[in-house]
Amino acid sequence: MKVNILTRTDKRMSFVVDGIDVETANALRRIMLTEVPAMAIHEVLFIENSTPLYDEIIAHRLGLIPLTSDLDSYVLSEQCKCEGAGCERCQVGIQCSVAAKDANRNVYTSDLVSLDPKIRPVSDKIMITKMSKGSKLLFEAYARLGLGKDHAKYQAATKATYKYYPEITINQAALKDYEYKGDNENDPLVTMCPRNVLKWEKNELVVTDLMRCNLCGTCMRGLETPKGAVVVKAVPGKFIFFLESSGSMPPDRIMREGIKIFQEKVGRFGDLVKELIEKQGRAG
Amino acid sequence: MLIPIRCFTCGTLVADKWDEYLKLKEQDTPPEEIFKRLDLERFCCRRMLIAHVDLIDDVLKFSRQQ
Repeated sequence: MKVNILTRTDKRMSFVVDGIDVETANALRRIMLTEVPAMAIHEVLFIENSTPLYDEIIAHRLGLIPLTSDLDSYVLSEQCKCEGAGCERCQVGIQCSVAAKDANRNVYTSDLVSLDPKIRPVSDKIMITKMSKGSKLLFEAYARLGLGKDHAKYQAATKATYKYYPEITINQAALKDYEYKGDNENDPLVTMCPRNVLKWEKNELVVTDLMRCNLCGTCMRGLETPKGAVVVKAVPGKFIFFLESSGSMPPDRIMREGIKIFQEKVGRFGDLVKELIEKQGRAG
Repeated sequence: MLIPIRCFTCGTLVADKWDEYLKLKEQDTPPEEIFKRLDLERFCCRRMLIAHVDLIDDVLKFSRQQ
């Protein structure tokens, strides 16, 4: 398996994975989406709340706030030595104390105080609630790591998709009788493609951006296309992945964690199969 | 009531973009340009802002007394 990063920003990235089959690609996609742990608030203790929103609504909103997750210093609470009771290895306290004294006031995520500066809301501008004059909001919340398959708030990736790596072969000899009028914008072979992949350059049909091709094959089957002039194929065993992070960690970290978890799972499965074969060997 | 924190469909954070959305809308920015600047590329996240009706200010007048 070879991974090659195409584009990367702090939120999105795309990469090519070579040397895997569809099943592996889909497993990797599903793991990146649902099994890479992320931090989220899972318990809120309200001490005072006289805002127009009920405790439950505020707690629900707090839970959905994406938090920057540090996978190196925290573990899943099920795997923690404290057995899920909540200790500093698996849980972070977040406090909030706001009072609207003289005028109406909005409560933003910037009003939350985290006990660990590494675990904080992704954005300071998320509005939690509005308060009218004289009301108070005082609560203590606990965040922990969780898996996306348990609740969507624990999803580290908001988008994980893949497509086949395209391969476009253009047979210039078959295009000999094709009449190109020197106008790229009105040429049927160019405008036919919904993704604008093909272009004429010096009387030769060329591919402008291979990554944009979605393998629809319109250019292949088009009435204007001479037979065998354009052939679009998927490269077997090669996939382009698209990944978007919720902001809890950089997308390349999600990819790395995804691959690591996948390898662990495959390893565990192999051990179980070995165990089963040994058991059957002893019985038979 | 209040703008939902995340997109219902994909889970992208949308709540932090509401104030900016209102500001851009006030300036008559073309819709395409607004979403480009807010970095919302899918229509599931875009409808979160378009379809939202902010009712909290009406509720705020009838605050609960404790």
